[in-house]
Amino acid sequence: MTLALLAGLWIWAWRPATRMGPLMTLWPVIWVAGDLLAAFPDSRFVSTFGLLLFGMGPIVYAQMALSYPTGRLTSRVAWAYIYLGGYLAQVIQNVYNVLYYDGRGCPFCSPHEPSYVFAGTSPLSLASWNKGWAYEIIAVLPIGLYALYRRFLASGPGARRTMGPLVATATIVTLTTTVQLIFIVLGDQDPLSNLSYIEDFGLIAVALTSFLGLALTRRARGAVGDLVVELGRAGPGHVREALARTIGDPTLQLALWLPERRAWVDETGQELELPTDRGITYVGDDLAAIVHDPVFLDQPALLEAAGSAARFALENERLHAELRAQLVELRESRARIVRAGDEERRRLERDLHDGAQQRLLAVGMALQLLRSSGDKSLLDETEHELQAALRELRELARGIHPAVLTDQGLAAALQTLADRAPIPVRIEDSAGRLPGHVETAAYFVVAEALANVAKHARASNAWVSIGREDGTARIEIRDDGVGGAAPNGGSGLRGLADRVGALDGRLRIESPAGDGTRLVAEIPCAS
Amino acid sequence: MRVVIADDTAILREGLARLLEENGVKVVGQAADATELLRAVEELNPDAALVDIRMPPTHTDEGLVAAETLRIPVIVLSQYVETAYALRLLEGGQPGRGYLLKDRVMDAAQLVAALERVVAGEVVVDPALIEPLVARRPLGDLTAREREVLALMAEGLTDRGIAERLWLTPKTVETHVRHILRKLALPAGTANNRRVHAVLTYLREGA
Repeated sequence: MTLALLAGLWIWAWRPATRMGPLMTLWPVIWVAGDLLAAFPDSRFVSTFGLLLFGMGPIVYAQMALSYPTGRLTSRVAWAYIYLGGYLAQVIQNVYNVLYYDGRGCPFCSPHEPSYVFAGTSPLSLASWNKGWAYEIIAVLPIGLYALYRRFLASGPGARRTMGPLVATATIVTLTTTVQLIFIVLGDQDPLSNLSYIEDFGLIAVALTSFLGLALTRRARGAVGDLVVELGRAGPGHVREALARTIGDPTLQLALWLPERRAWVDETGQELELPTDRGITYVGDDLAAIVHDPVFLDQPALLEAAGSAARFALENERLHAELRAQLVELRESRARIVRAGDEERRRLERDLHDGAQQRLLAVGMALQLLRSSGDKSLLDETEHELQAALRELRELARGIHPAVLTDQGLAAALQTLADRAPIPVRIEDSAGRLPGHVETAAYFVVAEALANVAKHARASNAWVSIGREDGTARIEIRDDGVGGAAPNGGSGLRGLADRVGALDGRLRIESPAGDGTRLVAEIPCAS
Repeated sequence: MRVVIADDTAILREGLARLLEENGVKVVGQAADATELLRAVEELNPDAALVDIRMPPTHTDEGLVAAETLRIPVIVLSQYVETAYALRLLEGGQPGRGYLLKDRVMDAAQLVAALERVVAGEVVVDPALIEPLVARRPLGDLTAREREVLALMAEGLTDRGIAERLWLTPKTVETHVRHILRKLALPAGTANNRRVHAVLTYLREGA
């Protein structure tokens, strides 16, 4: 008993964050109260408190087993088992016994004095009342065992390692108690003749269990030293494995914070959400998070030590993840640009084929006919077709790359765009000539944006402004329309973002519903 | 000669009809897509159909698909200089198939000649498809004359047609053809459309 008490006090002192300490300290004290009844049969004081605390010890013990190592009950079954099937049933039982136990006729305990508040003869036969209680316990015990096994099987290997000894002792104690109760109820007697050996066994087992758990934790703490050595040797991409080994949790994951993206990513640069049903230990300010089995939450010191030891490795890891994330994004945008190019060429082919090409063929046929007929109306028609073909070719060529952009610059090209827009567009250009590739990108950003304004915005005015500041060209297109444009909506905007991104620029869209749309592209330009 | 024409562009259809009419071909029906074409052929029973390769709804190869179903001579007009399309047209083995570039609509005489040939059961392949194939590599140890004959074989001309075109006697042409087929290890004595298919395949893939 002293051993268990000491173990409890030690854990209480060593891990004040968990509830395990108080439970482990309380448990031997309560357990002993039951034994006092047999030791002091003549004391009414012992009777009163002994009867009140009778049977509570095993329940506290069960609570410890089910909530090990954090001291918190996580499942509803376990909660109902402990609080309803355990404490509540036992309190009812004990109050009844305090009131009506006359010192005789109890199948479970030796005769002794009744309590201070003895109320006279029991309304029910005391023997049948206590038998009923025994049935309740026999019925409820398997539920506790079930809850314990479910918890054990659901935990990660690291947690199983610390829980193993405890589960074993709990199983033995539960089974023996059940068997014993069954014999008592059936035969109105105690076949094992004395309960104390089970109690002693339980006490020693629990003390051993807690020491074992602690010893295993100690070992893990020692592993932090090994971690430092291992991290020094291992390259990037192995930090997760090393941490998983150190903590003893193969399910451990790393989340690295990329401040530029404002997102968590894994080591491969894939974005992820931090899970809510797992334990999370943060490392550094906005550096990384270790996602692990919640069972390790009771060992914050270990996790923090491991996290600190891995800090530089994690910073390195984050750099790599950032690079990989950029690579992923780069690969995706490159694929999109290629697809957009293909799509554009297909569109051009269709336009050429169905437009100018057909018209020119018609002109050719008409010339054939004119050779023989000299028909005046046919001549007019032919001229008309020829002009239409030329107009279509002009439009197509302009769509591919407006010559005025190269010859006269962005301002002139934008003015033409504005002239063709269905609503008034005011252009403000304070940038002067920009590098060719920047002007081209800016032109297409404005063209696409104005096309979107015409198609979706229901605006009555639009404004375009081009500026340059600190080596960055800033292109802004604004309208007074309905807003509500989605940043990722439509391949047009996506394509623009890729085009701007290819020049290391950025595209932003602000489009609050009902308050117009503002599209801003910022493109670095060295010259 | 009575023909049906199919093209989804109205101005082209009208122009074509006018041009053919002026050159003695009777245009009995016009269709804007493949469905209309099949119905017109069914109802009007023309001697041949002149079909644009791409029509609604997909604007890809509707003309070729229609030609596969039609049992009358068909000329497919196409903007594509693609031997693959011509081969597909000949695949069915039906006589009287032609693959012409759309540019030929500007040459009424050539167009009418091609129509006459397919109506006679011959195959017509646009020379523009053949020229680059013949020009691009040495063909066995063919003489210059044999290469000329080979190109015309590929265009679908019969021995008699080749003789007329090259001002040779039919006998000479027969000899040339025999030599060519032996040198290129192609089957001899097959029907005209089979022969064109074999020659085209040879020219594309080499021996």
